[in-house]
Amino acid sequence: MSKRKSGEKHVAVGEYVSQVQRVLRERFCHQRLPDKPVGLESQYKHLLELLRRTAVHGESNSVLIVGPRGSGKTMLLRCALRELLELQEVKKNVLQVHLSGLLQTDDRIALREITRQLQLENVVGDKVFGSFAENLVFLLDALKKGDKSSSRPVFFILEEFDLFAHHKNQTLLYNLLDVSQSAQAPVAVVGLTCRLDVLELLEKRVKSRFSHRQIHLLSSLTFHQYRDAFRSELTLRDDFPDRKFSQEWNLGISKLCEDKSVDEILQKHYNSCKDFRSLHSLLLLAVSRISVSNSTLRALDLLEASRMSSADSKGNILHGLSVLELCLIIAMKHLNDIYEGEPFNFQMIHNEFKKFLQRKSHSVHNFEKPVVFKAFEHLLQLELIRPVDGGACKAQREYQLVRLMLDHTQVMEALQRYPQCPTDVKQWAVSAFG
Amino acid sequence: TPRHATPSIPSRNLPARKPGNVLEEARARLHVSSVPESLPCREQEFQDIYNFVESKIMDGTGGCMYISGVPGTGKTATVQEVIRSLQQAAEQEEIPPFRFIDINGMKMTDPHQAYVQILQKLCDQKATADHAAALLEKRFSTPAPKKETTVLLVDELDLLWTRKQNVMYNLFDWPTRRHARLVVLTIANTMDLPERIMINRVASRLGLTRMSFQPYTFKQLQQIITSRLNRLKAFEEDALQLVSRKVAALSGDARRCLDICRRATEICEHSGPKSAVGLVGMSHVMEALDEMFSSSYITAIRCASLQEQLFLRAVIAEFRRLGLEEATFQQVFLQHQALCRVEGLQPVSVSESLAVCQRLGACRLLLLEPSRLDLLLRVRLNLSQDDVLYALKAD
Repeated sequence: MSKRKSGEKHVAVGEYVSQVQRVLRERFCHQRLPDKPVGLESQYKHLLELLRRTAVHGESNSVLIVGPRGSGKTMLLRCALRELLELQEVKKNVLQVHLSGLLQTDDRIALREITRQLQLENVVGDKVFGSFAENLVFLLDALKKGDKSSSRPVFFILEEFDLFAHHKNQTLLYNLLDVSQSAQAPVAVVGLTCRLDVLELLEKRVKSRFSHRQIHLLSSLTFHQYRDAFRSELTLRDDFPDRKFSQEWNLGISKLCEDKSVDEILQKHYNSCKDFRSLHSLLLLAVSRISVSNSTLRALDLLEASRMSSADSKGNILHGLSVLELCLIIAMKHLNDIYEGEPFNFQMIHNEFKKFLQRKSHSVHNFEKPVVFKAFEHLLQLELIRPVDGGACKAQREYQLVRLMLDHTQVMEALQRYPQCPTDVKQWAVSAFG
Repeated sequence: TPRHATPSIPSRNLPARKPGNVLEEARARLHVSSVPESLPCREQEFQDIYNFVESKIMDGTGGCMYISGVPGTGKTATVQEVIRSLQQAAEQEEIPPFRFIDINGMKMTDPHQAYVQILQKLCDQKATADHAAALLEKRFSTPAPKKETTVLLVDELDLLWTRKQNVMYNLFDWPTRRHARLVVLTIANTMDLPERIMINRVASRLGLTRMSFQPYTFKQLQQIITSRLNRLKAFEEDALQLVSRKVAALSGDARRCLDICRRATEICEHSGPKSAVGLVGMSHVMEALDEMFSSSYITAIRCASLQEQLFLRAVIAEFRRLGLEEATFQQVFLQHQALCRVEGLQPVSVSESLAVCQRLGACRLLLLEPSRLDLLLRVRLNLSQDDVLYALKAD
């Protein structure tokens, strides 16, 4: 009886754990919109008001949302659109056109996409008819016929706005901004970009037509706010099915927040990067470690996640090399020391390596030259060393000049952590000039 | 396929709301799109263009005119106004009737599309570019009884440049034909465009009838806003003066001026309590000006994370050491690590430091080479060292 009961309890916990993971996963990697943007109230108000005036009064506007990557530009816009579309009079009227500079790589594709999303009359099903030139004329005519009070407002949302500025003549931007500055169908052109110098990319006449309204998402988040965000991101809401479990979970989270070591980890992440996206990726790593046997988030999980996310990638590669390859890297390090960063070739490395073998080595086997060359080529493939002239070289491979793509500290650190590294190799690495 | 599709945007279900209070009314009037009936401060230019076109229409001859000026100085609006008043005159039979066509170099995908658009607007006929060119050629070179004058406005002329310049050549050659009766008005930004990009036979056909629009002075800008507002009391006098002086000092672009005024009305509306909306004062205008003109680099540096700021300091330290304005990532990394030790932070790994560097490069505080160069990628600052130091020091 008791065995069965505990089994049932086990099943229930397992179910809750998977539910917690589902809820949190949705928050961290599906970019679920928060109820309100955190720390961006004034920007949110500005954007919302602007879009509302276009939708309700038919006033044409243009705006750029500028902020570093991961600072919540798309989130801000989506939140504003979500709130705006709750108004009945807006919902039925507004047309939206979403474009991205990564997908619409030239004006031809962008124009087709606009026509398709607006469902103009030269669209049948999902196909747009007519040539590029005809499409442009058709779209401009359509927009020209509209007027402020009677036609439906159109939101043009251009993600990766800076890439649109690289199109030929910036025709699309000129035309969209020109519509927004003349008495035609009401449009709102919203550009999202991470480049601070985006206005310098625009041509003079395009720039003149842009309203120079920029919304900057440069949040000055303090560490306290960051920690609060950490807590609220992990906290379960009231709509979680099991009250008891969610209370326990939330209690665990608030305990976690008071932990000194957690504070240290958060401080380190806050120092390196303030945005929520990096916080999310850290939390995702931590949350994926909870399981049925371990159903609360511990400081240890967070520590492990932080270690994983801040590991040095090249150090890890060095970890997996053979002793011969490591010897070559040490030889190259010495060459770098001797010749002060001048490039070197395989012959020089081999020479250096042979000197080591003759003088000191008792543990490293005397390899044939082709074997050493093979190890050298392996390092080339891993891009731990790079040819100086980008590989397009007429010289023989042995005489091709290369550079080491590692820093001293990386080499030394890798040697420390290398499993069963021969002592004389270590000594050779430490000794100055071979 | 849809043969005779009519271009249109669907109409809205509910009509747009009318402006409610004074500020909203002012905002509607200050929008760039609501071009007034007569443009203030461009009377002289208006008269010159009017006389030119009118004389050509009266004589039944043709000619070209080149109009230049920086963006936002009222070139296109003035020409449109000239045409409007000429059309009125033609309706009252003071001058013979004429046709007006306008094309814009930016609104076509290829210079040769100009032929297609002219033909389309002239006789509502669709053709390929080559065919359209031939048809137009025929139309302008053969005499026809009772032919009326055509006025052709070519906006953004510099976009019609091709390697052989045949589009421009044709546009300027047709008016010289005896039977063409074509007046071509061309608009572009730069004053020396004919000398710079046109070959001799094109430039000579364009002729010497030129006109340049000067940037607006602050008095003119002030007059433009006042005339737009048309006795609507929404702005303080000083505020208007500040806007116009600032804009005139920078560019003399009327669009910018109107946009700033519009932004100032918004700021004013949201600053005070809902019920008592006052006049737009100095403080609101100052805020709008700050928003639009101030560079955001400094704020961006101040809002950057600690490691990003350290990296910038490392860049500057390395520049000082080298005496150059450029350093490789490896050199900066060593400084970065040293700075971390000085500040008592855990030393960063290469990967972390490179990530920081990339983040700064993505928002263009730094100029970077592609990151596959790894340790060897060269780092430069996109703003002056003094600005960086100022931003880092102020707090």
